[in-house]
Amino acid sequence: MSNTSAGQGELLGDAVSPRGKLRPRSSAASKRWQTVVVTGLVFCALVSVFTTIGIILMLVVESWGFFSDDKIEIWKFLTGTKWTVGQTQGELSYGIWPLLSGTLRITGIAMMLALPMGLVSAIYLSEYASKRTRSLLKPTLEILAGIPTVVLGFFAVKFITPYMLEPLGDFKTFNATSAGIAVGILCIPLVASLAEDALRAVPNRLREGAYGLGANRLEVTLKVVVPAALSGIISAFLLALARAIGETMVVALAAGSTPTLTLDPRMPSQTMTGFIVETFKSESVVPGTLSYFSIYAVAAVLFLSTFGITLVGQIIRMKYREVYD
Amino acid sequence: MKDSVAQPRKHRSVARRKLFNNSFSVICLLVSSLAIVVLATLLVAIFSTGGNWLSFEMLAGSHRENNPEESGIGQAILGSLVICSICGLVALPIGVGTAIFLEEFKPKGRLLRIFHGLVQLNINNLAGVPSIVYGILGLTAFVYMFGAFSPIRVNDQPDHEIGATYFYQTKTLGGQYVRFPAVPLIQPVIKIKQGRNASKINGDKFKLNVVSASTEKSKYANQVNETVLLGTEAKLSSRNGNQVYEAKTIGGDSFDFPAEATYSQFAKIIEPITVSNSDGDTFSLNVLSKSEPIPTDPTILAQSVFADSPDPNKRSSASIFRENSLFHLHLPFSKSVLSAALTLALVILPIVIIASQEAIRGVPQTLREAAFGMGATRWQVVRSAVLPSATPGIMTGAILAMSRAIGEAAPLLAVMGGVLGTTNHLSSLMDKTPVLPVTIFKWAGDENQGFEHLAAAAIIVLLAFLLLMNSLAIFIRYRYEKKLS
Amino acid sequence: MIRTILNLVIFTSLFALAAGCGSPKTSENSSTKTTPGLDYGDNSSLSGNITIEGSSTVEPISNRAKEKFNGSFPNVNISVSGQGTGNGFKALGAKECDVSDASRPIKQKELEVCKSTGINFYEIPVAYDGLTIVVNKENDFVDELTVEQLKQIFREDTAAKTWKDVNDAWPDKQISIYAPGIASGTHDYFVEVIGKKDGKGLRADEQTMLSEDDKALVTGVKGDKFAIGFFGFSYYDANKDELKAVSIVNPISTKSVAPSMASIESGEYAPFSRPLFIYVNAESYQRAEVKEFVDYYLQNIVEIVKDASYVPLPADIYESAKARIMKDLPGSHYLDAEGNKREGSVTEVYTEANLPK
Repeated sequence: MSNTSAGQGELLGDAVSPRGKLRPRSSAASKRWQTVVVTGLVFCALVSVFTTIGIILMLVVESWGFFSDDKIEIWKFLTGTKWTVGQTQGELSYGIWPLLSGTLRITGIAMMLALPMGLVSAIYLSEYASKRTRSLLKPTLEILAGIPTVVLGFFAVKFITPYMLEPLGDFKTFNATSAGIAVGILCIPLVASLAEDALRAVPNRLREGAYGLGANRLEVTLKVVVPAALSGIISAFLLALARAIGETMVVALAAGSTPTLTLDPRMPSQTMTGFIVETFKSESVVPGTLSYFSIYAVAAVLFLSTFGITLVGQIIRMKYREVYD
Repeated sequence: MKDSVAQPRKHRSVARRKLFNNSFSVICLLVSSLAIVVLATLLVAIFSTGGNWLSFEMLAGSHRENNPEESGIGQAILGSLVICSICGLVALPIGVGTAIFLEEFKPKGRLLRIFHGLVQLNINNLAGVPSIVYGILGLTAFVYMFGAFSPIRVNDQPDHEIGATYFYQTKTLGGQYVRFPAVPLIQPVIKIKQGRNASKINGDKFKLNVVSASTEKSKYANQVNETVLLGTEAKLSSRNGNQVYEAKTIGGDSFDFPAEATYSQFAKIIEPITVSNSDGDTFSLNVLSKSEPIPTDPTILAQSVFADSPDPNKRSSASIFRENSLFHLHLPFSKSVLSAALTLALVILPIVIIASQEAIRGVPQTLREAAFGMGATRWQVVRSAVLPSATPGIMTGAILAMSRAIGEAAPLLAVMGGVLGTTNHLSSLMDKTPVLPVTIFKWAGDENQGFEHLAAAAIIVLLAFLLLMNSLAIFIRYRYEKKLS
Repeated sequence: MIRTILNLVIFTSLFALAAGCGSPKTSENSSTKTTPGLDYGDNSSLSGNITIEGSSTVEPISNRAKEKFNGSFPNVNISVSGQGTGNGFKALGAKECDVSDASRPIKQKELEVCKSTGINFYEIPVAYDGLTIVVNKENDFVDELTVEQLKQIFREDTAAKTWKDVNDAWPDKQISIYAPGIASGTHDYFVEVIGKKDGKGLRADEQTMLSEDDKALVTGVKGDKFAIGFFGFSYYDANKDELKAVSIVNPISTKSVAPSMASIESGEYAPFSRPLFIYVNAESYQRAEVKEFVDYYLQNIVEIVKDASYVPLPADIYESAKARIMKDLPGSHYLDAEGNKREGSVTEVYTEANLPK
């Protein structure tokens, strides 16, 4: 704080303006200026509110256009098992389940990779690592976190599929596994950093108490620290899940554009996000057509799932957080 | 007795526990190092694919279809820089403002506290929304502007526009093109092409309905007196001292609408007019009538046109074209750099807010209390005490948000489309431009092997940018942390 | 912190060095050779914007025309996109583009849309294309196919699941299909040959990948041993080393013919030889830059088309096209007064008598 001279000027109400940050003003003027500034700040805050309102409104209004069309019934949308919007000019099948299945398959593979690796890395970083390994591992995770998703998509389609998967046999060019692996790589840093924060927040007294009772490091970690940090860890999992569901570029490059309803991870699987991108790429989206509205219907399902999961994660973190003082 | 039975058990379980402990330690190390292995594989794969294709020509050039050897990412780099700068200029003030509001101006009233809590919750959730949803929002809000303005069409000027100059250009008999400035005029007769607000003779206002000749009569039978055929001519006249265009509806009623000066698509050249050519010379156009013989001197030929001719290839009609100034803007924004920048700003806004909040929270309370003690108002406290010490944290957060913005492809794909290369370089905010992540995306999907290498090279450039920005963030954090403590 | 940065830099440079020792950059596909067109000298004075949208099959031709044209007229901003013939016609009717690329003639419904917005266009055939059916390079059991077999594989009602279903001697493996999407003219043309008359369309099930992006189809067939796909000849030709073209048994001569420039031109490669078009907005043509571009296109069309690996049409077709523009005769030759499509080769249909009065 470098404005002692200005501070004096302000206190004395001097008309002469000294150099410094605070210009001399009457306190009434300062109060008026503050009101102006606060109003400005409120408007800034409103931008984010309007964004959410905008998203919700837009999705609701345009999905209404989809569902109010005579050919579409909401029940069929929610339970149908075939999705051919934008693929045939004849009879349209608009069951959402193939797209959901694609999303779930890729997210499942991703979580199978990211959750264990992320959690173990977090445990290692917080409980075991020496300063040297820490200084190597932490930047690695930060770099991984900063890699743009197109890069991982490129890696998936040009390296994971031809070199890792082809030798294992019978994988299609575009498949769910390589996309799942890439999304998993994306999510590892997220899980690791959030889980590590949660683990570090557990105060040392708990650990020391356990050590005092004769437990070794593994037992302290698994039986004391992790359960104490459980809410934070679960919230980390949920946030990573939401991120994986919303991932777009990796699946657009590596997972193909065929909606499939199957458990086979070697098949191409279009996800909800993949469908939206594919429709943007191939249609010059003409407002008013069924394909245009279908984007919004799928986006609505996508938004609801990610918003819901993030909300649940928040609530768990806030509600079940054990506060240690 | 109990001891002798218990002891071997204790030994075994201690040994087993130790085994588990040590193996877990090893497993942890292995799994964690897997992360390093993954990163290393990724980097090696990318560098080996793209390393050789990195060169100065590649950095400066632009995309050539089917010609990876001569393609480059110059336009993409410029596009990314421009869009991210504008995005930052928009997102940072709003984000920091929101963070200040959330942290420093906590309201006391119950209702306002609920609002405050909602905003906070909202921001945390917005951070988790997929970026493609932002892309759709940007498409609806910025590109189409909710349909409030009529879309831009070819052969028509946008309804609301600033910062563009119009010229007419025509080809002289010598084969060169010359141009002269266009002036908006109130045309004596215009063809009605789209609906507008009009008034009847008695002053009633109504929305004019325009139908094509092939539309069935039944479709507009109930508004025959408010409908007119596409292409009906309206003549200039005046009413109450204002200039209006008058015409009749299909039902026979007269109506009129205000006359505006517009640029007509074509200008007929009837008399000599001053033009300029590509070298910048200005001269008076030599207008020949069809009965005159064609001159043989090439210099005269280069400055002559026919006034009129039955042969459409010899008519001297000049057609309009537009030159954009730097400040060219039109409504709706449609697919442009501005729409892309605004959409991206929405994407990174939650990140900026959260990072700024953390930075502000990090400022010790004592600093604030000291300022309050000196009689400062709340805002003065923020401006003079909190912000300066939170600035390094805010800047770090800003840089991290920017590095996220540079790598985002999905919203830009939705809002600007997959632009790979434009003939003209970026000249105004209304142009479309390629950007690095979208270029990588399109090249990665190309079956040409060369583009695969190019995509890897472009990724290297992108990663280099990110490395630079992250180093900057680390450097700032390091330097300011030292300063403050 | 400095150490962190140093570590990062060291790692990165190590990788870069490792990469630098890799294989040198070899020139893969020999790309466009710029053939000189008419010399206009320095014409940077011509300015303006031209928007071209439509077929991804015709896109290579329009791209070559654009690059050549910009060589002489560098200030004209041309944007070419290939999102499908259907989308190109939509854009033409909505006044969003000046030229629409098409791999099939305009349909009656699309014509109505143009009429209702007051659009007139010049229909200009630009090249012959042979729609090429391709399989993976390692596919050793398919050399030729009859139209009947194609129907079995591709139609939505028959939709053969495995190769064995089509021919007992073939392996019992699932067929993976890579085909253009519904906005593509190639899709429409193929459906016309294999199913339109029975009212059946192309299959759209889990074994089928549909995309308007022909490049994605090429990638798909390349990577899948039991794949089959189809697209314009230009895309096959650009990837000849990595794909295998299937000979089609000509239904009339019953000989199996492989697609090549020669067999497409002679018409032997049937029934998949087809003309490609561009549709020029007549009002846009009045603009100096569009006029110059279209004239240049037609003037140099033979080199442009050959560069793109398509087959040029007979010279008198191009002369007729130029005549239509000179005499200002818009409209489609392929639709009669009742809105039915005219059949026949380009030379038969593209006569002045077939224009709407």
